[in-house]
Amino acid sequence: MEALMRGAHRATRWCTWFGGALILLAAFLIGIDVVLRKFFSTSIGGADELAGYALAIATAWSLAAALLARAHIRIDSLYGLLPLRLRLLLDFLGLALFIGYFGLIARHGWNVVLQSWHAGSRSQSALQIPTVIPQAIWILGLALFVIIGALLFAHALRLVLRGRSGEATRAVSTRSTQEDVAEEVRDVEARRSLESGLR
Amino acid sequence: MIWTAVGILLVVLALAVPVAAGLGVLGLALSEIYSKLPLTLAIGEMSWATSNNFLLVAIPFFVLLGEILLRSGIAERMYNALVLWVPWLPGGLMHSNIAACAMFASTSGSSVATAATIGTVAMGEIRKHGYSERLFLGTIAAGGTLGILIPPSINMIVYGVLTDSSIPQLYLAGIIPGLVLATLFSLTILVICLIWPQLGGRRTGATWTQRIRALPDLLPPLVIFLAVIGSIYAGWATATESAALGVIAALAVAALRRKLTLRMLGQAFEGTMRTSAMIMAILIAAYFLNFVITSIGLTTQVNRYVTQLGLTPAQLFVAVVVFYLVLGMFMETLSMMVATVPIVAPIMIKAGFDPVWFGVLIVILLETAMITPPVGINLYVVQGLRSRGRIDDVIVGAAPFVLTMLLMIAALWFWPALALWIPGLVRG
Repeated sequence: MEALMRGAHRATRWCTWFGGALILLAAFLIGIDVVLRKFFSTSIGGADELAGYALAIATAWSLAAALLARAHIRIDSLYGLLPLRLRLLLDFLGLALFIGYFGLIARHGWNVVLQSWHAGSRSQSALQIPTVIPQAIWILGLALFVIIGALLFAHALRLVLRGRSGEATRAVSTRSTQEDVAEEVRDVEARRSLESGLR
Repeated sequence: MIWTAVGILLVVLALAVPVAAGLGVLGLALSEIYSKLPLTLAIGEMSWATSNNFLLVAIPFFVLLGEILLRSGIAERMYNALVLWVPWLPGGLMHSNIAACAMFASTSGSSVATAATIGTVAMGEIRKHGYSERLFLGTIAAGGTLGILIPPSINMIVYGVLTDSSIPQLYLAGIIPGLVLATLFSLTILVICLIWPQLGGRRTGATWTQRIRALPDLLPPLVIFLAVIGSIYAGWATATESAALGVIAALAVAALRRKLTLRMLGQAFEGTMRTSAMIMAILIAAYFLNFVITSIGLTTQVNRYVTQLGLTPAQLFVAVVVFYLVLGMFMETLSMMVATVPIVAPIMIKAGFDPVWFGVLIVILLETAMITPPVGINLYVVQGLRSRGRIDDVIVGAAPFVLTMLLMIAALWFWPALALWIPGLVRG
């Protein structure tokens, strides 16, 4: 199970690289489009459409990374005051609802993909892309999220059942704001030490 | 219906259900209870439509821009240059903090990033020059909030998308209030340091040669600001397109400073996608929720309820300000915005307020929420940077600036042109 979770962490990291690269590519495509339009009165045509697909795909494929990094926002005003056991119970509730809700989206999203497939629908722009292609990649990302979410749930539950609640907390509880900030600080300081090292 | 909705929302949020899931569950529950049609069937189509919305592409662009800037070291150089230029006023470097925050805000769409970046660079100066620690920390927490008011602004994008108002207009509307608020922050420091000179630290001197020589360090932020906001003002680019230009400009700056490596890019991608996926998850759920509350007539009902109260515009304005001030103490800002704006904005617009003006008001209220305890993200960021002492110091230090923000809100009420003048010029 531990090996599986490590694998999940590594996989989601690759997914963020993939998503980030798509976003960067979209930025370049749009940038070129703006320049062409302004100075050469021409256009790639459909750059906005492709950027939209990039956003949908990058988002879906990165949801799991955000989940494992516990980056999804939770309001912890009351939660922070509760005893640890109750918090852990809420962690499982929150995780289950999150997976359930996006599972529902994936389930109904699948119908959207099927519909595009059967109707053979193409995008409105000059590109005439069969919409089923970006939609299929999108839905795969959502499916991956649901699988990794379920894996995380099972992993944390297993830890609790073995009496290792502390580790379970680290896997599924909110990152307290403190913890969040500590990370931001580490980030900035790492950069600074790198900087001073270069000087 | 209103109270059921508010009740369910409060329960799921209080139980610390992730905000995205909480909003989604609320949507499902309301549709189950009040809708005759199975609205849930639309959830796939709606989620796809939200996910590939071209306007929202600007969000990962600005997050990526910030991640690249953070790793390219332009903030340090900018701060050090500003230190040479500003410190002759009583309050010295604290004015540099505000100026640096304002300048960084003109390249960044996030208040947390602004406070964290400027905070790290500035923190070392407190002891060196004998400043009052509390007030110094307060200037960073408060100055950092300018990140979302001075364009670009991720929160303005979200507001624009939620209310169907123009994001370029919102950006342009944020410029003057942003500069005025920064000036008011500086005045606050000046007044405090005139009354209690011991808080103001020792003056530092700089020669004109030093000052002139440092000027090029102010260029990179200026270049990015021009790429993003200049292209909008000139009418070359839409909000999302200008964000793409900003990303390219930031990459160019990083490359020129020889900070652009594959490893750096990989880290930037990880950070960008974690944050963007989090924001998008909330927006995907929020869109479905909005669809449900409009379909079941909740928006109309709230509207009717508020109309029945027969408030004058001034009373309505005060009620909204108080509502957000109180809510902002306990709620994280993005969640607060997504949960309330779809209901509150239509009420305000129906009462005759300009949607763009109201967007600026909301952003200033969000800024206030970031430095009011117990939940104020910028307070935590600044406390985290200093990693000693108690958070109370930051809270006390930021308190005077809450008053300054209230003053700004009043100014916006008396002179709506502060926000609406530049957008008016462009609209023609």
